[in-house]
Amino acid sequence: MKRIPLSRCTSHLQAAPSPRRPSCLYAAQRSIAARSNRIQARFQATVSIPNDGELEVELPEEPSIVARQPAKPKTRQSRWPTPLEKLPSPHPSAAERSVKLHALRSRLSLPQRFPLQTLARSLVHPSADPNPAFNNASLSILGRHLLGYYTTEWLMCNYPRLPMAVVFAAVDAYIGPKALATVASEWGIEAAAEPGGEVDPGLLQFMRIQSGGELPASLRRQAPWSWNVTTTHKIMKTDEFGSDNAAPGPHSLNSTPVPMEEAAQSFVRALVGSLHLQLGAPLVKRFFRDHFTSRHLDIGTLFDFRTPTRDLSKLCAREGFEAPVARLVSETGRLSRHPVFVVGVYSGKDKLGEGAGSSLDEARTRAAAAALKAWYLYRPLEVTVPSSTEGALDTSKWRPNMIDCGEVIV
Amino acid sequence: MPLAATRTVAKAQNGVGAFVLQCKRLEFHYCNWWGSSKGMNAFIKSSLPSFAQRNPSVEFSVSPRPRKHPVIIAHYINGATRSICVKNLQNEGVREKAEALRDSNGEKNKRLGKPVTSINESVRGIWSPFHGAKIQI
Repeated sequence: MKRIPLSRCTSHLQAAPSPRRPSCLYAAQRSIAARSNRIQARFQATVSIPNDGELEVELPEEPSIVARQPAKPKTRQSRWPTPLEKLPSPHPSAAERSVKLHALRSRLSLPQRFPLQTLARSLVHPSADPNPAFNNASLSILGRHLLGYYTTEWLMCNYPRLPMAVVFAAVDAYIGPKALATVASEWGIEAAAEPGGEVDPGLLQFMRIQSGGELPASLRRQAPWSWNVTTTHKIMKTDEFGSDNAAPGPHSLNSTPVPMEEAAQSFVRALVGSLHLQLGAPLVKRFFRDHFTSRHLDIGTLFDFRTPTRDLSKLCAREGFEAPVARLVSETGRLSRHPVFVVGVYSGKDKLGEGAGSSLDEARTRAAAAALKAWYLYRPLEVTVPSSTEGALDTSKWRPNMIDCGEVIV
Repeated sequence: MPLAATRTVAKAQNGVGAFVLQCKRLEFHYCNWWGSSKGMNAFIKSSLPSFAQRNPSVEFSVSPRPRKHPVIIAHYINGATRSICVKNLQNEGVREKAEALRDSNGEKNKRLGKPVTSINESVRGIWSPFHGAKIQI
């Protein structure tokens, strides 16, 4: 006797089929099914649901409501789910099965309650999937601002006298595009050869630039809007790294081939943003301390003085010190091929700095630069950053930070 | 412009803040037929599940490699791979090799001249012949 397949005779008794392209974690738990094979009703835990009212109406077998969705092009309704290869980025349900994502989560010491679906989503660059509910554009914008906030306040509180150019360079060294791409590679992020629904979600998904292809226009070096871009303009108008032009927003890179550096930095930013949303600010601050401020940067090497002696005399005049005088501390081999002069810069009886050089002028310049660095690199002993008091009721630990009047303007 | 700044990238110090295990993936290849895989097969059956559980940040894969000696291949974050042939080793020996691969950082073995190296400059400073009590200016 031929057996009737169960699915034929009792299909009406079975649970609604799982959605084609998920509804996320929560939607899957609540078994909200989007029946059309179009991409819709995809609710992610970290994105605000734009059409919350449709949660109930998107039930199966409602052709009238399905037809009301205007955004997507009409496609053939079929009984079979969309093949994975047709999806622009991996299905969120694949995240739970991905070994790479599990390994990445524990490699970064993230807690188990951080959902893998969110981690997978932060790996999808808008160039791979233009749908804002599935790519990391929104998360990376949030993460970028969080990273900029934490880095800048940390620098400003710890080095209150840094000149603005050095602040920009230091922020760039910690969370600049190159730094973030380096961080991503040090976390062991691998890139998928080509994004797609069938790809492992633990790989970085972005559209690669074809060999010999050009960078997208927004990432190419552009002429600045004005040739004398001032520091004030850099502070007010462009990004946190003091670039001449503001970097393109992630939404502007939809379906555009991008270099891997761009995708990798968007992942790191999106991870910080999603950590903030999923686990809260205290954990993000700890994550930031562990992965970013723990990196080694000698800020003294960032200075590039042009006229240190002039700057130093201006500084002494401003601060009311006596005018700096360079004095020879010691020397050897003045008439030889390798003379060494040690020059100290004195203000009254105080030695401000000392430098050694093979000529008197070189030694004096080095001494003035050392004196300026000693001034600019001042570090208060006890520092409480403003974000450490967020949400805290007890403000007794708060110490007001020093605010300096700024660098010397010549 | 009195002051410019040079652009660099801050260097990672693994373990100062967060520690990231450098071994990314471990692949275990075995053969069902050859006797040299006996210890490897025993390791895969008995110890590998607990070993994988103790190392959640490493991706594990097990695959047959017929008519070959058993081998463990490790992939590292710096892009390097290391492989160790574990033929004729017993269960414990295979586990030791797997742990050695897991603990390695993927760099080539090199001779360390000094027991301690540091990127921080010395607190005392470098001795200078031009400074000190004997110097008469």
